[in-house]
Amino acid sequence: MYRKQVRRRRAVLLLLVVVSLTLLSLQFREGSGGPLHGFQRGVATVFSPLQGAADRAFKPGRDLVNWFDETFNARGDNKKLSEEVADLRDQLAISQAHQQQGEELKKLLDLSSAGLIPAGRTPVTARVIGRSPSVWYSTVTIDKGYGDDVHVDDPVVTGDGLAGRVSEVTRNSAQVTLITDHTSSVAARVEPVNATGVVEPQIGNPDDLLLDYVEKGTDIQETQQVVTAGFSGGGVASLYPPGIPIGEVSQSSLEEERAYQRVHIDPYADLRNMEFVQALVESGGKG
Amino acid sequence: MILTWRIMVRLGLLALFTVMAELSFFGKLSILGTSPDFATLVVMSLGLLGGSVTGAVAGFSIGLLIDTLSLETLGATALTLIAVGYLAGRYRESLGVPNRGTTALLGGGLTMVAWLCFAFLQLMLGLEADVSPLVGRDIVVASLLGALLAVPVQAGVRRLLRPALIDEDRPRASRPVAPTAVETR
Repeated sequence: MYRKQVRRRRAVLLLLVVVSLTLLSLQFREGSGGPLHGFQRGVATVFSPLQGAADRAFKPGRDLVNWFDETFNARGDNKKLSEEVADLRDQLAISQAHQQQGEELKKLLDLSSAGLIPAGRTPVTARVIGRSPSVWYSTVTIDKGYGDDVHVDDPVVTGDGLAGRVSEVTRNSAQVTLITDHTSSVAARVEPVNATGVVEPQIGNPDDLLLDYVEKGTDIQETQQVVTAGFSGGGVASLYPPGIPIGEVSQSSLEEERAYQRVHIDPYADLRNMEFVQALVESGGKG
Repeated sequence: MILTWRIMVRLGLLALFTVMAELSFFGKLSILGTSPDFATLVVMSLGLLGGSVTGAVAGFSIGLLIDTLSLETLGATALTLIAVGYLAGRYRESLGVPNRGTTALLGGGLTMVAWLCFAFLQLMLGLEADVSPLVGRDIVVASLLGALLAVPVQAGVRRLLRPALIDEDRPRASRPVAPTAVETR
């Protein structure tokens, strides 16, 4: 009797492990149009209204827990913030003088082309209804899909800057691969020095991105802004339109043994706590 | 564990709730830079209450649903949670029902096992970016959160599945039971 139980237990375990490994290797090999991806998208379509409802139901509790965490962190930031307030007061006086000039110039510019949203793109506002629970993936699920003209590879932004790109899409939801995911790389340039490179994440540290492959010897200073480069040419084009803010330079390292310069970036978008994002879909849709 | 249709429905609803809570609540929390791993604790509780087969099947089901709904690699979370459910079940089968202190230790330990298994799987599948040393901190913090949450999560799961538990302590009858014909001859 006992032996029979042991055999049954081992058989069940073996079966489950084999099924998991088979799914893992099959899905890893097939393309995004494969049957397993299709199955995933189908199930996600069915469950996304439930996930949206769960997200709204859990929001008060989530806000409460996150408030405690932010309060805890804010105690450490207090001194640093006091110094920043003093600096900002000085900057405010200068800014107010520039403001009047700026407002006059602003009237001359077309807001839509000068703003965050690149020409030829329309923003579709979406709510973040799910987040990958692991540090190894950095993806979120939004409540808009191809029914709202959202397509794979559409850039996604928050009010502060670039968040990522759409990587999977169902009728009423989409998966957004954030710029902190290990599969992400974004062609970017540092303003105003115009140095270009590729923004890559560090797994487990969403507050620090790396701008790699920057030409050695370029004079890059802290707080300089990094934006998407948006290159195109030779039949190849960047997924991201040019000029979307990514973050600011926090540190520039010159390592002798490396052929290129590496720059650390503090991302503008708060990718852990975002509630709403905008997918920049192609105006008129992709068909 | 006695599996009736009602209990199966309860288990299904528990799995669905666990996945929704993991993706829409716990996954979006940030406590000391990381998120509590609720799904691991539910699977551990099911393993501790039902044994290794129940634990492994629950781990597979909940893990597969997480992989499917988060549109990630199918099978990765399932494989991790099978290990958690099976280990918790084997503990129960070998050493009996744990007390509160042991449950907390198991919660911390199995969360660490789950995170390390998942990290190993990701490294095997290949990574296209540098790994920050902060991943180590995240694993430690998640394990501590696992230890803190293990007892309430297990109590909740136990309460939900009480009718199915074989050795559950039930309240004693208030009046003495009448002797049966066999006892009185």
